[in-house]
Amino acid sequence: MSETTVSQQSGPIGEGVTARQVSGVSIRLAGVTKRYPGQPAPAVDAVDLEIPAGETVMFVGPSGCGKTTLLKMLNRLIEPSGGKIFLGDEDVTGQDPDQLRRRIGYVIQAGGLFPHMTVAANIGLVPRMLKWDKERVTARIEELLELVGLDPAVYRDRYPRELSGGQQQRVGVARALAADPPVLLMDEPFGAVDPITRQRLQDELLRIQEELGKTIVFVTHDFDEAVKLGDKIVVFDVGARVVQYDTPEAILADPADEYVADFVGAGAALKQLSLTRVHDVQLRPVTTASVGDATAEVVARARAAGDDYVVVLDRRGRPISWPSLPELERVPAVPGTVDEKLPVVGHGSTLNDALDTMLAASQGGAVVIGRRDSLAGVVVIETIMEAIQRTRQGASE
Amino acid sequence: MTVDTGRSQAPSTAAEDERDTAPPRKGGGWRALAVQPTLVVLGVVAFLVWRSTTTLSETEARQLGWTVLANSVREHLYLTFAAAVIVLAIAVPLGIALTRARLRRFTPAVIGVANVGQAAPAIGLFVLLATWLGFGFRTTVIALVLYAALPVLRNTMVGIQGVDNRLVEAGRGMGMSAFAVLMRVELPLAVPVMLAGVRTALVLLVGTATLATFISGGGLGVLINTGITLSLNSLLIGGAVLVALLALAVDWLGRVVEHVARPKGL
Amino acid sequence: MWDFVVDRRELIAFQAVQHVSLVVQCVLLATVIAIGLAVLAYRSPKVTGLANGISAIGLTIPSFALLGILLAPFGFGITPAVIAVTFYAVLPVLRNAVVGLAGVDQSLVESARGIGMSRAATLLRIELPLAWPVILAGIRVSTQMVMGIAAIAAYVLGPGLGGLIFSGLSRLGGANALNATLVGTIAIVLLALVLDVVLLLVGRLTTSKGIRV
Repeated sequence: MSETTVSQQSGPIGEGVTARQVSGVSIRLAGVTKRYPGQPAPAVDAVDLEIPAGETVMFVGPSGCGKTTLLKMLNRLIEPSGGKIFLGDEDVTGQDPDQLRRRIGYVIQAGGLFPHMTVAANIGLVPRMLKWDKERVTARIEELLELVGLDPAVYRDRYPRELSGGQQQRVGVARALAADPPVLLMDEPFGAVDPITRQRLQDELLRIQEELGKTIVFVTHDFDEAVKLGDKIVVFDVGARVVQYDTPEAILADPADEYVADFVGAGAALKQLSLTRVHDVQLRPVTTASVGDATAEVVARARAAGDDYVVVLDRRGRPISWPSLPELERVPAVPGTVDEKLPVVGHGSTLNDALDTMLAASQGGAVVIGRRDSLAGVVVIETIMEAIQRTRQGASE
Repeated sequence: MTVDTGRSQAPSTAAEDERDTAPPRKGGGWRALAVQPTLVVLGVVAFLVWRSTTTLSETEARQLGWTVLANSVREHLYLTFAAAVIVLAIAVPLGIALTRARLRRFTPAVIGVANVGQAAPAIGLFVLLATWLGFGFRTTVIALVLYAALPVLRNTMVGIQGVDNRLVEAGRGMGMSAFAVLMRVELPLAVPVMLAGVRTALVLLVGTATLATFISGGGLGVLINTGITLSLNSLLIGGAVLVALLALAVDWLGRVVEHVARPKGL
Repeated sequence: MWDFVVDRRELIAFQAVQHVSLVVQCVLLATVIAIGLAVLAYRSPKVTGLANGISAIGLTIPSFALLGILLAPFGFGITPAVIAVTFYAVLPVLRNAVVGLAGVDQSLVESARGIGMSRAATLLRIELPLAWPVILAGIRVSTQMVMGIAAIAAYVLGPGLGGLIFSGLSRLGGANALNATLVGTIAIVLLALVLDVVLLLVGRLTTSKGIRV
């Protein structure tokens, strides 16, 4: 039930990309400082920063630069020694931390799920603390599980240890979003998962953010991650000194100083590949089939379209495999087996990710998904090669 | 029950390991070891001061006379260490034997029987043995041995089983005989756990030996028992305090041995 | 022996109930005390060390000696028995509670604080449930241990099956001396096993499926 309401909101693919709704509030830091007793230099030294509502701002910098300390001062897990913090127009510096934190979602590495509670209990924790009634909590849990791409019927009553690392992280995001907080703080959330899973989680986050428009502050040490996810990037030096605060494009094109240039790293031309998204390039349409369709009919349709494979969708419209026509002809009906190695990228993924995914799967293309994991088309390696060609030409001109 | 005690011991030994082996805290390990003897010495001094200043009735004076007192303490220690030596001689080889491949299938059964035995109240064991073997020193030692063998037996087995199997295989792979692997790899690595078992057994022995008085086995329990039956508080408390101090001292001795004998690389 | 049991079934049953009730009540009281102390102690490494030291040293004090010491101020009866049994029951639970609470993953505590749970709520909803299996292991050790200590407590006229053992001792060589001792000892072993099974079941019922081993 909640599934239909949510998918009505989401609309067709690509629509939200241009005009995204904003449910976040702005965050303003004024002279925020953290001093630890017995240490000569402050860990965070009088930081002024303005984070616009509904944007994703990435904190990057070397370890020990104070970026995590700064993040934790936003929800006062660390009490600032000086300065003021505003959410919207409201000064929250003196507010009760527990009350404040219920308005700010918080995601840490591996999700920080409570192992003795089910997925539903984990997600419902904050709403229940806010005294929501039972039906509302249950409905919210279903809605959020759908949002992060987990089937509520399957996952609601599982315990965290029965989930994969990526699934745990999704539940962690769902829990942070439970009370619909305007602000989401993420502390290196995808640091502990393998590269393929990390890329899928990043795609997922882009998709969720497209729908929700929260204000997200995201700490990472991975500059590629920052470029991919961030509307803006803050590069910090020791003492949480802001060295550069700009869009990824601007930082890549014009690093403020040597320090930033070092941090951005070599091969900035190829990094442009991380700036081009899958939805920016030409996707190939593809013949689709549903589980259980008669193969003869499907094969005929594919031949007519000039395709030598089809993409099989499950009942929710999510791609699960892409058999070749000879493979299909061997069976009477389209099988429902899920191809674990199916190369899938989100339409918000970078071309870099798409290339990685294809290489990892040893395939010449990848299935592209949009909202709610529904099929958007197929991206092939030739398209990416063309994009690289264009960037190199652009660089040499 | 095996899991149980094993588990409860594991965290504590883990905590101690950490305390004793973390290099910056090495001095802390010794400092922690210094607390207990200080307590014991203070206790002994307090007892001696009390003993020489207080006025005692005739019966009390007889039991708390210096020679009688020294005799009681000597008896108590004799019971304790006689039983301890026998326990070591029996339980350690038995524990090692039960971890060898040929006998390993008996391990669960032995542990199970031993655990049921542990739940048996010491006093019941003493009285039962006395009805069978009569009163006296010999029966007391047998009862003590039966009672204290368990922690040593179990920790020997747990310690050896806890040795990383890859190390054993590496030893065999280098061409060491099974006996050489036991002596050079398994036992040295199992020493900390085994010693913890020995210390537990010693403390248990000091405490349980107080019950010897009920079957005429002597020791400091006589003081407590006489104190209880005749309502002589000075006897009662004097005996109880001395036993407690003795237990603390023996426990400390065990800790020092553990601290010194721990393989350096661990 | 069977005749002995049948003849005295009411007395034996009464003493068994007394024994178990003494142990269960003291262990419950000890659990509350131990968890309270552990909560006060576990955040500070220094106090944790102190708590561990106290439980280690406390366990070395012989039970017969402690009972003797307690007789002086409290006299014969149930009071010294309850104090001694509770004292020994506290120690393993205290040690395990401290270890269990200190063993809770700090990132989970931070996570709980980060989503707006108060300190008390974090302790009650996150830390104690996660430490519970370890605490329960301590309770099981305590229970086994104090079943035997309660037998000795009968000597200071505390209630329970120890009475049978001591009556056997006092009439040694007499008609039913062996029977009384044997019945007392075996009953304690059996009841200890029953209590252990009960605690095991309690553990199954009170430990979340998500952290069960």
